[in-house]
Amino acid sequence: MSRRRAGSLGWNVAGLVLFAVMVFPVFWMLSTAFKGNDQIYSVDPVWVPGHPTLSHFRDALHRQYFWTDVKNSVIVVLVTVGIALVLSFFAAVALAKYRFGGRKLFIVLVIGIQMLPQAGLIIPLYVVLGKHGQVNALTGVILVYLTFALPFCVWTLRGFILGIPKDLEEAAMVDGSTRLGAFVRILLPLVAPGLVATSVFAFITSWNEFIFANTLLHSGGKQTITVWLSYLYGGNRFVDWGEIMAASTLISIPVVIFFLLVQRRIAFGLTAGAVRG
Amino acid sequence: MFWHTLERTIIFTVANVGLTMVLGTLIALLLVRVATWVRLLLTVGLVLVWAMPPVVAVQVWSWMTISQNGVVNYVLTQLHLGDFFQHNWYETPTSQLAMVTTLIVWGAIPFVTITVYAALSQVPRELIEAAQIDGARAWRIFKDVTLPVLMPVLLILTSLSIIWDFGAFTQPYLLIGPGQQVPSNYLMSVYLYVEGFGKTDFGRGAAISILMLAIVAIMSVVYVRRMLRVGEAA
Repeated sequence: MSRRRAGSLGWNVAGLVLFAVMVFPVFWMLSTAFKGNDQIYSVDPVWVPGHPTLSHFRDALHRQYFWTDVKNSVIVVLVTVGIALVLSFFAAVALAKYRFGGRKLFIVLVIGIQMLPQAGLIIPLYVVLGKHGQVNALTGVILVYLTFALPFCVWTLRGFILGIPKDLEEAAMVDGSTRLGAFVRILLPLVAPGLVATSVFAFITSWNEFIFANTLLHSGGKQTITVWLSYLYGGNRFVDWGEIMAASTLISIPVVIFFLLVQRRIAFGLTAGAVRG
Repeated sequence: MFWHTLERTIIFTVANVGLTMVLGTLIALLLVRVATWVRLLLTVGLVLVWAMPPVVAVQVWSWMTISQNGVVNYVLTQLHLGDFFQHNWYETPTSQLAMVTTLIVWGAIPFVTITVYAALSQVPRELIEAAQIDGARAWRIFKDVTLPVLMPVLLILTSLSIIWDFGAFTQPYLLIGPGQQVPSNYLMSVYLYVEGFGKTDFGRGAAISILMLAIVAIMSVVYVRRMLRVGEAA
Protein backbone atom coordinates (compact mmCIF):
# COMPACT_ATOMS: atom_id res chain seq x y z
CA MET A 1 0.00 0.00 0.00
CA SER A 2 2.72 2.45 0.97
CA ARG A 3 4.72 1.52 -2.11
CA ARG A 4 1.73 2.29 -4.20
CA ARG A 5 1.28 5.69 -2.61
CA ALA A 6 4.96 6.51 -3.11
CA GLY A 7 4.58 5.44 -6.73
CA SER A 8 1.64 7.71 -7.37
CA LEU A 9 3.42 10.58 -5.61
CA GLY A 10 6.28 10.10 -8.06
CA TRP A 11 3.88 10.18 -11.01
CA ASN A 12 2.21 13.31 -9.69
CA VAL A 13 5.54 15.09 -9.30
CA ALA A 14 6.49 14.02 -12.84
CA GLY A 15 3.17 15.36 -14.06
CA LEU A 16 3.69 18.71 -12.36
CA VAL A 17 7.24 19.08 -13.72
CA LEU A 18 5.95 18.26 -17.16
CA PHE A 19 3.18 20.81 -16.78
CA ALA A 20 5.75 23.45 -15.85
CA VAL A 21 7.95 22.67 -18.86
CA MET A 22 5.09 22.55 -21.38
CA VAL A 23 3.37 25.69 -20.18
CA PHE A 24 6.54 27.71 -19.63
CA PRO A 25 6.56 29.35 -23.09
CA VAL A 26 2.96 30.50 -22.58
CA PHE A 27 3.84 31.79 -19.14
CA TRP A 28 6.95 33.55 -20.43
CA MET A 29 4.92 35.25 -23.17
CA LEU A 30 2.44 36.62 -20.61
CA SER A 31 5.13 37.51 -18.12
CA THR A 32 7.15 39.45 -20.72
CA ALA A 33 4.06 41.21 -22.05
CA PHE A 34 3.31 42.73 -18.63
CA LYS A 35 6.90 43.54 -17.59
CA GLY A 36 8.61 46.89 -17.85
CA ASN A 37 11.59 47.12 -20.17
CA ASP A 38 14.05 47.29 -17.26
CA GLN A 39 12.86 43.84 -16.17
CA ILE A 40 12.65 42.39 -19.69
CA TYR A 41 16.26 43.19 -20.48
CA SER A 42 17.74 42.54 -17.03
CA VAL A 43 20.69 40.14 -16.86
CA ASP A 44 18.97 37.75 -14.46
CA PRO A 45 15.44 37.09 -15.66
CA VAL A 46 12.55 38.43 -13.59
CA TRP A 47 9.95 35.67 -13.41
CA VAL A 48 6.86 37.57 -12.31
CA PRO A 49 6.37 41.21 -13.36
CA GLY A 50 7.27 43.35 -10.33
CA HIS A 51 5.19 46.33 -11.37
CA PRO A 52 2.86 45.15 -14.15
CA THR A 53 2.39 47.58 -17.00
CA LEU A 54 0.02 47.73 -19.95
CA SER A 55 2.32 49.92 -22.01
CA HIS A 56 3.36 47.10 -24.35
CA PHE A 57 -0.26 46.36 -25.13
CA ARG A 58 -0.81 50.04 -25.82
CA ASP A 59 2.21 50.06 -28.17
CA ALA A 60 0.93 47.01 -30.02
CA LEU A 61 -2.57 48.39 -30.43
CA HIS A 62 -1.20 51.65 -31.78
CA ARG A 63 1.31 50.06 -34.10
CA GLN A 64 0.62 50.77 -37.75
CA TYR A 65 -1.85 48.40 -39.45
CA PHE A 66 -2.75 46.47 -36.27
CA TRP A 67 -6.43 47.28 -36.48
CA THR A 68 -6.74 47.09 -40.27
CA ASP A 69 -5.03 43.71 -40.25
CA VAL A 70 -7.23 42.44 -37.43
CA LYS A 71 -10.20 43.59 -39.48
CA ASN A 72 -8.84 41.78 -42.54
CA SER A 73 -8.39 38.60 -40.53
CA VAL A 74 -11.91 38.84 -39.15
CA ILE A 75 -13.38 39.35 -42.64
CA VAL A 76 -11.42 36.44 -44.10
CA VAL A 77 -12.31 34.15 -41.21
CA LEU A 78 -16.02 34.99 -41.09
CA VAL A 79 -16.58 34.69 -44.83
CA THR A 80 -14.58 31.45 -44.99
CA VAL A 81 -16.43 29.91 -42.08
CA GLY A 82 -19.84 31.04 -43.34
CA ILE A 83 -19.45 29.69 -46.86
CA ALA A 84 -17.66 26.53 -45.71
CA LEU A 85 -20.42 25.75 -43.24
CA VAL A 86 -23.30 26.05 -45.69
CA LEU A 87 -21.61 24.20 -48.55
CA SER A 88 -20.12 21.47 -46.42
CA PHE A 89 -23.40 20.84 -44.63
CA PHE A 90 -25.18 19.98 -47.87
CA ALA A 91 -22.22 17.96 -49.15
CA ALA A 92 -22.11 16.07 -45.86
CA VAL A 93 -25.83 15.28 -45.98
CA ALA A 94 -25.39 13.98 -49.53
CA LEU A 95 -22.44 11.81 -48.50
CA ALA A 96 -24.11 10.45 -45.42
CA LYS A 97 -27.61 9.81 -46.78
CA TYR A 98 -27.40 9.16 -50.50
CA ARG A 99 -25.56 6.81 -52.82
CA PHE A 100 -24.48 8.50 -56.02
CA GLY A 101 -22.04 7.88 -58.84
CA GLY A 102 -18.48 8.87 -58.03
CA ARG A 103 -19.19 8.85 -54.31
CA LYS A 104 -16.13 6.79 -53.49
CA LEU A 105 -13.88 9.04 -55.57
CA PHE A 106 -15.37 12.06 -53.85
CA ILE A 107 -14.54 10.62 -50.43
CA VAL A 108 -10.98 9.83 -51.46
CA LEU A 109 -10.58 13.40 -52.69
CA VAL A 110 -12.05 14.84 -49.52
CA ILE A 111 -9.59 12.92 -47.36
CA GLY A 112 -6.68 13.18 -49.75
CA ILE A 113 -6.79 16.93 -50.31
CA GLN A 114 -6.34 17.56 -46.61
CA MET A 115 -3.03 15.73 -46.79
CA LEU A 116 -1.40 17.95 -49.40
CA PRO A 117 1.39 20.14 -48.05
CA GLN A 118 0.31 23.75 -48.45
CA ALA A 119 3.71 24.93 -49.62
CA GLY A 120 3.44 22.50 -52.53
CA LEU A 121 0.31 24.25 -53.80
CA ILE A 122 1.43 27.78 -53.38
CA ILE A 123 3.04 28.37 -56.76
CA PRO A 124 0.21 26.99 -58.92
CA LEU A 125 -2.38 28.83 -56.83
CA TYR A 126 -0.39 32.04 -56.99
CA VAL A 127 -0.20 31.83 -60.78
CA VAL A 128 -3.89 31.03 -61.20
CA LEU A 129 -5.04 33.71 -58.77
CA GLY A 130 -2.70 36.21 -60.39
CA LYS A 131 -4.35 35.64 -63.77
CA HIS A 132 -7.69 36.64 -62.30
CA GLY A 133 -6.45 39.63 -60.38
CA GLN A 134 -6.87 37.91 -57.03
CA VAL A 135 -3.34 38.36 -55.74
CA ASN A 136 -3.14 40.99 -53.01
CA ALA A 137 -6.90 40.70 -52.53
CA LEU A 138 -8.77 39.21 -49.59
CA THR A 139 -11.11 37.35 -51.95
CA GLY A 140 -8.17 35.34 -53.29
CA VAL A 141 -7.15 34.33 -49.79
CA ILE A 142 -10.72 33.39 -48.90
CA LEU A 143 -10.91 31.20 -51.98
CA VAL A 144 -7.71 29.41 -50.99
CA TYR A 145 -8.84 28.94 -47.38
CA LEU A 146 -12.12 27.48 -48.60
CA THR A 147 -10.31 24.80 -50.55
CA PHE A 148 -8.67 23.68 -47.33
CA ALA A 149 -11.59 24.21 -44.95
CA LEU A 150 -14.21 22.48 -47.08
CA PRO A 151 -12.82 18.93 -47.15
CA PHE A 152 -12.30 18.99 -43.41
CA CYS A 153 -15.77 20.36 -42.68
CA VAL A 154 -17.46 17.92 -45.06
CA TRP A 155 -15.76 14.92 -43.51
CA THR A 156 -16.39 15.97 -39.92
CA LEU A 157 -20.03 16.92 -40.45
CA ARG A 158 -20.64 13.65 -42.26
CA GLY A 159 -19.56 11.85 -39.09
CA PHE A 160 -22.02 13.88 -37.03
CA ILE A 161 -24.88 13.26 -39.45
CA LEU A 162 -24.20 9.53 -39.52
CA GLY A 163 -24.49 9.54 -35.73
CA ILE A 164 -28.16 10.56 -35.89
CA PRO A 165 -30.60 7.64 -35.76
CA LYS A 166 -32.43 7.26 -39.06
CA ASP A 167 -35.70 6.37 -37.29
CA LEU A 168 -36.01 9.90 -35.94
CA GLU A 169 -36.18 11.44 -39.37
CA GLU A 170 -38.44 8.69 -40.66
CA ALA A 171 -40.77 9.05 -37.71
CA ALA A 172 -41.17 12.74 -38.49
CA MET A 173 -41.96 11.95 -42.10
CA VAL A 174 -44.55 9.34 -41.12
CA ASP A 175 -46.16 11.97 -38.92
CA GLY A 176 -46.81 13.98 -42.04
CA SER A 177 -43.76 16.13 -42.22
CA THR A 178 -42.29 16.90 -45.60
CA ARG A 179 -38.71 15.94 -46.27
CA LEU A 180 -37.71 19.58 -45.82
CA GLY A 181 -39.74 19.87 -42.63
CA ALA A 182 -38.12 16.79 -41.18
CA PHE A 183 -34.78 18.15 -42.22
CA VAL A 184 -35.24 21.51 -40.54
CA ARG A 185 -36.97 20.31 -37.40
CA ILE A 186 -35.14 17.05 -36.69
CA LEU A 187 -31.83 16.95 -38.46
CA LEU A 188 -30.69 20.54 -38.02
CA PRO A 189 -30.97 20.78 -34.22
CA LEU A 190 -29.26 17.41 -33.82
CA VAL A 191 -26.36 18.41 -36.04
CA ALA A 192 -25.99 21.80 -34.33
CA PRO A 193 -23.12 20.71 -32.03
CA GLY A 194 -21.32 19.36 -35.08
CA LEU A 195 -21.83 22.63 -36.90
CA VAL A 196 -20.41 24.54 -33.94
CA ALA A 197 -17.38 22.26 -33.71
CA THR A 198 -16.57 22.40 -37.41
CA SER A 199 -16.99 26.15 -37.64
CA VAL A 200 -14.63 26.60 -34.71
CA PHE A 201 -12.06 24.45 -36.45
CA ALA A 202 -12.42 26.38 -39.67
CA PHE A 203 -12.12 29.57 -37.64
CA ILE A 204 -8.90 28.50 -35.94
CA THR A 205 -7.17 27.22 -39.09
CA SER A 206 -7.96 30.37 -41.05
CA TRP A 207 -7.04 32.69 -38.17
CA ASN A 208 -3.68 30.92 -37.74
CA GLU A 209 -2.85 30.51 -41.41
CA PHE A 210 0.42 32.07 -42.49
CA ILE A 211 1.93 30.76 -45.75
CA PHE A 212 -0.81 31.78 -48.16
CA ALA A 213 -1.59 35.05 -46.47
CA ASN A 214 2.10 35.91 -46.48
CA THR A 215 2.53 35.06 -50.15
CA LEU A 216 -0.71 36.40 -51.55
CA LEU A 217 -1.00 39.64 -49.59
CA HIS A 218 2.00 41.88 -49.88
CA SER A 219 1.09 45.45 -49.18
CA GLY A 220 0.91 46.86 -45.67
CA GLY A 221 -2.63 47.28 -44.35
CA LYS A 222 -3.91 44.57 -46.70
CA GLN A 223 -2.51 41.66 -44.73
CA THR A 224 -3.84 39.38 -42.03
CA ILE A 225 -2.84 39.56 -38.40
CA THR A 226 -0.46 36.57 -38.44
CA VAL A 227 1.51 38.17 -41.27
CA TRP A 228 1.50 41.45 -39.34
CA LEU A 229 2.93 39.66 -36.31
CA SER A 230 5.63 37.93 -38.33
CA TYR A 231 6.92 41.33 -39.45
CA LEU A 232 6.79 42.87 -35.99
CA TYR A 233 10.17 43.84 -34.64
CA GLY A 234 9.24 47.00 -32.82
CA GLY A 235 11.40 50.09 -33.14
CA ASN A 236 14.46 50.62 -35.29
CA ARG A 237 17.21 50.39 -32.73
CA PHE A 238 16.25 47.30 -30.80
CA VAL A 239 13.73 44.49 -30.97
CA ASP A 240 10.84 45.41 -28.70
CA TRP A 241 10.11 42.02 -27.18
CA GLY A 242 7.58 43.44 -24.74
CA GLU A 243 5.45 44.68 -27.58
CA ILE A 244 5.88 41.47 -29.60
CA MET A 245 4.80 39.35 -26.61
CA ALA A 246 1.84 41.65 -25.92
CA ALA A 247 0.74 41.38 -29.56
CA SER A 248 1.26 37.61 -29.45
CA THR A 249 -0.98 37.41 -26.40
CA LEU A 250 -3.72 39.44 -28.06
CA ILE A 251 -3.62 37.30 -31.21
CA SER A 252 -3.76 34.05 -29.21
CA ILE A 253 -6.77 35.00 -27.11
CA PRO A 254 -9.54 34.20 -29.62
CA VAL A 255 -7.93 30.86 -30.45
CA VAL A 256 -7.52 29.88 -26.81
CA ILE A 257 -11.16 30.68 -26.07
CA PHE A 258 -12.43 28.62 -28.99
CA PHE A 259 -10.05 25.78 -28.26
CA LEU A 260 -11.26 25.48 -24.70
CA LEU A 261 -14.82 25.39 -26.07
CA VAL A 262 -14.32 22.43 -28.38
CA GLN A 263 -11.47 20.58 -26.72
CA ARG A 264 -13.75 17.80 -25.54
CA ARG A 265 -15.03 17.12 -29.06
CA ILE A 266 -11.51 16.62 -30.36
CA ALA A 267 -10.85 14.01 -27.75
CA PHE A 268 -13.91 12.14 -28.98
CA GLY A 269 -12.10 11.26 -32.12
CA LEU A 270 -11.95 13.96 -34.71
CA THR A 271 -8.64 12.47 -35.72
CA ALA A 272 -9.45 13.40 -39.28
CA GLY A 273 -8.78 17.00 -38.36
CA ALA A 274 -6.02 18.99 -39.95
CA VAL A 275 -5.84 21.39 -37.04
CA ARG A 276 -2.22 22.21 -36.82
CA GLY A 277 0.42 24.45 -38.32
CA MET B 1 20.50 20.37 -54.22
CA PHE B 2 17.17 18.58 -54.55
CA TRP B 3 18.52 15.28 -53.23
CA HIS B 4 20.35 16.91 -50.36
CA THR B 5 17.21 18.79 -49.39
CA LEU B 6 15.12 15.64 -49.67
CA GLU B 7 17.57 13.73 -47.49
CA ARG B 8 17.64 16.53 -44.89
CA THR B 9 13.85 16.74 -44.90
CA ILE B 10 13.50 13.00 -44.39
CA ILE B 11 15.93 13.00 -41.43
CA PHE B 12 14.12 16.04 -40.02
CA THR B 13 10.74 14.33 -40.43
CA VAL B 14 11.89 11.08 -38.82
CA ALA B 15 13.35 12.95 -35.84
CA ASN B 16 10.25 15.11 -35.37
CA VAL B 17 7.71 12.33 -35.78
CA GLY B 18 9.71 9.94 -33.59
CA LEU B 19 10.03 12.45 -30.77
CA THR B 20 6.41 13.60 -31.08
CA MET B 21 4.98 10.09 -31.01
CA VAL B 22 7.18 8.72 -28.22
CA LEU B 23 6.83 11.76 -25.94
CA GLY B 24 3.15 12.20 -26.75
CA THR B 25 2.37 8.57 -25.94
CA LEU B 26 4.47 8.61 -22.75
CA ILE B 27 2.65 11.70 -21.51
CA ALA B 28 -0.70 10.05 -22.28
CA LEU B 29 0.37 7.03 -20.21
CA LEU B 30 1.41 9.41 -17.43
CA LEU B 31 -2.00 11.10 -17.56
CA VAL B 32 -3.64 7.81 -16.61
CA ARG B 33 -1.45 7.45 -13.53
CA VAL B 34 -1.64 10.90 -11.94
CA ALA B 35 -4.24 12.25 -9.52
CA THR B 36 -7.36 13.83 -10.99
CA TRP B 37 -6.34 17.41 -10.24
CA VAL B 38 -2.90 16.92 -11.81
CA ARG B 39 -4.55 15.42 -14.89
CA LEU B 40 -6.90 18.36 -15.16
CA LEU B 41 -4.04 20.83 -14.79
CA LEU B 42 -1.93 19.01 -17.36
CA THR B 43 -4.83 18.81 -19.82
CA VAL B 44 -5.50 22.52 -19.56
CA GLY B 45 -1.78 23.14 -20.10
CA LEU B 46 -1.74 20.91 -23.16
CA VAL B 47 -4.76 22.66 -24.65
CA LEU B 48 -3.10 26.05 -24.07
CA VAL B 49 -0.01 24.86 -25.93
CA TRP B 50 -2.16 23.42 -28.69
CA ALA B 51 -4.01 26.69 -29.06
CA MET B 52 -0.89 28.80 -29.64
CA PRO B 53 -0.94 29.99 -33.26
CA PRO B 54 2.29 28.82 -34.96
CA VAL B 55 3.42 32.36 -35.74
CA VAL B 56 3.00 33.31 -32.08
CA ALA B 57 4.90 30.20 -30.98
CA VAL B 58 7.77 31.15 -33.29
CA GLN B 59 7.98 34.62 -31.75
CA VAL B 60 7.98 33.23 -28.22
CA TRP B 61 10.65 30.68 -29.17
CA SER B 62 12.87 33.39 -30.69
CA TRP B 63 12.54 35.44 -27.55
CA MET B 64 13.29 32.52 -25.21
CA THR B 65 16.40 31.46 -27.13
CA ILE B 66 17.85 34.86 -28.00
CA SER B 67 21.61 34.80 -27.40
CA GLN B 68 21.95 38.03 -25.37
CA ASN B 69 19.55 37.23 -22.53
CA GLY B 70 17.43 34.26 -23.59
CA VAL B 71 15.70 32.65 -20.64
CA VAL B 72 16.56 29.16 -21.94
CA ASN B 73 20.27 29.98 -21.81
CA TYR B 74 19.85 31.23 -18.25
CA VAL B 75 17.87 28.25 -16.98
CA LEU B 76 20.16 25.64 -18.56
CA THR B 77 23.22 27.38 -17.09
CA GLN B 78 21.58 27.59 -13.66
CA LEU B 79 20.78 23.88 -13.80
CA HIS B 80 24.51 23.24 -14.41
CA LEU B 81 23.84 21.59 -17.74
CA GLY B 82 26.72 23.54 -19.24
CA ASP B 83 27.69 27.13 -19.89
CA PHE B 84 25.12 28.64 -22.18
CA PHE B 85 25.89 32.27 -21.42
CA GLN B 86 25.26 34.14 -24.70
CA HIS B 87 25.12 30.81 -26.51
CA ASN B 88 23.91 31.15 -30.10
CA TRP B 89 21.31 28.46 -30.73
CA TYR B 90 21.19 29.24 -34.42
CA GLU B 91 24.86 28.95 -35.26
CA THR B 92 24.93 25.96 -37.62
CA PRO B 93 22.29 24.53 -39.96
CA THR B 94 22.01 21.49 -37.68
CA SER B 95 21.43 23.59 -34.58
CA GLN B 96 18.92 25.75 -36.44
CA LEU B 97 16.92 22.71 -37.49
CA ALA B 98 17.23 21.25 -34.00
CA MET B 99 15.58 24.40 -32.64
CA VAL B 100 12.82 24.07 -35.23
CA THR B 101 12.37 20.47 -34.05
CA THR B 102 11.96 21.50 -30.41
CA LEU B 103 9.35 24.03 -31.46
CA ILE B 104 7.41 21.63 -33.68
CA VAL B 105 7.52 18.72 -31.22
CA TRP B 106 6.41 20.98 -28.36
CA GLY B 107 3.47 22.19 -30.43
CA ALA B 108 2.55 18.73 -31.71
CA ILE B 109 2.60 16.81 -28.42
CA PRO B 110 -0.84 17.98 -27.17
CA PHE B 111 -2.70 16.61 -30.20
CA VAL B 112 -0.99 13.22 -29.88
CA THR B 113 -1.32 13.04 -26.11
CA ILE B 114 -4.99 13.96 -25.97
CA THR B 115 -5.89 11.57 -28.79
CA VAL B 116 -3.89 8.68 -27.33
CA TYR B 117 -5.35 9.39 -23.90
CA ALA B 118 -8.85 9.12 -25.34
CA ALA B 119 -7.88 5.81 -26.95
CA LEU B 120 -6.41 4.53 -23.67
CA SER B 121 -9.83 4.65 -22.08
CA GLN B 122 -10.83 1.93 -24.56
CA VAL B 123 -8.37 -0.53 -23.03
CA PRO B 124 -10.39 -3.04 -21.01
CA ARG B 125 -9.60 -2.61 -17.30
CA GLU B 126 -10.28 -6.29 -16.51
CA LEU B 127 -7.61 -7.40 -18.96
CA ILE B 128 -4.96 -5.29 -17.25
CA GLU B 129 -6.06 -6.47 -13.82
CA ALA B 130 -6.04 -10.09 -14.93
CA ALA B 131 -2.53 -9.66 -16.30
CA GLN B 132 -1.42 -8.05 -13.03
CA ILE B 133 -2.82 -10.96 -11.03
CA ASP B 134 -0.91 -13.31 -13.29
CA GLY B 135 2.21 -11.40 -12.28
CA ALA B 136 2.94 -9.79 -15.62
CA ARG B 137 5.46 -6.94 -15.60
CA ALA B 138 4.39 -3.42 -16.52
CA TRP B 139 6.25 -3.53 -19.83
CA ARG B 140 4.63 -6.85 -20.80
CA ILE B 141 1.19 -5.50 -19.95
CA PHE B 142 1.85 -2.45 -22.10
CA LYS B 143 3.16 -4.49 -25.01
CA ASP B 144 0.54 -7.25 -25.02
CA VAL B 145 -2.60 -5.55 -23.70
CA THR B 146 -2.41 -1.79 -24.18
CA LEU B 147 -0.44 -1.49 -27.39
CA PRO B 148 -2.72 -3.64 -29.57
CA VAL B 149 -5.69 -1.44 -28.62
CA LEU B 150 -3.73 1.74 -29.30
CA MET B 151 -2.25 0.53 -32.58
CA PRO B 152 -4.89 1.89 -35.00
CA VAL B 153 -4.81 5.33 -33.37
CA LEU B 154 -1.00 5.40 -33.27
CA LEU B 155 -0.91 4.46 -36.94
CA ILE B 156 -3.21 7.32 -37.93
CA LEU B 157 -1.35 9.81 -35.74
CA THR B 158 2.01 8.72 -37.12
CA SER B 159 0.94 9.05 -40.74
CA LEU B 160 -0.62 12.45 -40.07
CA SER B 161 2.53 13.61 -38.28
CA ILE B 162 4.76 12.40 -41.12
CA ILE B 163 2.72 14.31 -43.65
CA TRP B 164 2.60 17.49 -41.55
CA ASP B 165 6.26 17.51 -40.58
CA PHE B 166 7.44 16.66 -44.08
CA GLY B 167 5.64 19.77 -45.31
CA ALA B 168 6.60 22.02 -42.39
CA PHE B 169 7.01 25.61 -43.53
CA THR B 170 5.94 28.29 -41.05
CA GLN B 171 8.24 27.17 -38.24
CA PRO B 172 11.49 26.67 -40.19
CA TYR B 173 10.89 29.70 -42.37
CA LEU B 174 10.16 32.13 -39.55
CA LEU B 175 12.26 30.71 -36.70
CA ILE B 176 15.47 30.49 -38.73
CA GLY B 177 14.42 33.74 -40.39
CA PRO B 178 13.27 34.62 -43.92
CA GLY B 179 16.67 36.14 -44.65
CA GLN B 180 18.65 33.20 -43.31
CA GLN B 181 17.29 30.52 -45.64
CA VAL B 182 20.27 29.02 -47.42
CA PRO B 183 20.83 25.72 -49.27
CA SER B 184 22.53 24.18 -46.24
CA ASN B 185 19.42 24.44 -44.07
CA TYR B 186 16.66 24.09 -46.67
CA LEU B 187 13.70 21.91 -45.90
CA MET B 188 11.51 20.84 -48.80
CA SER B 189 8.79 23.49 -48.41
CA VAL B 190 11.26 26.27 -47.79
CA TYR B 191 13.37 25.13 -50.74
CA LEU B 192 10.55 25.34 -53.23
CA TYR B 193 9.33 28.60 -51.74
CA VAL B 194 12.72 30.27 -52.03
CA GLU B 195 13.35 28.84 -55.49
CA GLY B 196 9.87 29.75 -56.68
CA PHE B 197 9.28 33.15 -55.11
CA GLY B 198 12.64 34.39 -53.85
CA LYS B 199 14.20 33.87 -57.27
CA THR B 200 10.87 34.18 -59.16
CA ASP B 201 11.62 30.96 -60.97
CA PHE B 202 8.08 29.57 -61.03
CA GLY B 203 8.96 26.74 -63.38
CA ARG B 204 11.62 25.36 -61.08
CA GLY B 205 9.48 25.92 -57.99
CA ALA B 206 6.53 24.17 -59.63
CA ALA B 207 8.72 21.23 -60.62
CA ILE B 208 9.87 20.82 -57.01
CA SER B 209 6.22 21.14 -55.89
CA ILE B 210 5.15 18.29 -58.13
CA LEU B 211 7.91 16.02 -56.84
CA MET B 212 7.01 16.91 -53.29
CA LEU B 213 3.29 16.33 -53.83
CA ALA B 214 4.07 12.95 -55.39
CA ILE B 215 6.11 11.92 -52.36
CA VAL B 216 3.37 13.01 -49.98
CA ALA B 217 0.72 11.28 -52.09
CA ILE B 218 2.59 8.00 -51.70
CA MET B 219 2.92 8.53 -47.96
CA SER B 220 -0.78 9.36 -47.63
CA VAL B 221 -1.96 6.08 -49.09
CA VAL B 222 -1.80 4.32 -45.73
CA TYR B 223 -3.72 7.10 -44.03
CA VAL B 224 -6.38 7.53 -46.72
CA ARG B 225 -7.06 3.80 -46.87
CA ARG B 226 -7.34 3.62 -43.12
CA MET B 227 -9.73 6.59 -42.98
CA LEU B 228 -11.83 5.08 -45.75
CA ARG B 229 -12.23 1.89 -43.77
CA VAL B 230 -13.04 3.77 -40.56
CA GLY B 231 -15.43 6.07 -42.40
CA GLU B 232 -17.30 3.33 -44.21
CA ALA B 233 -17.67 1.31 -41.04
CA ALA B 234 -19.17 4.26 -39.15
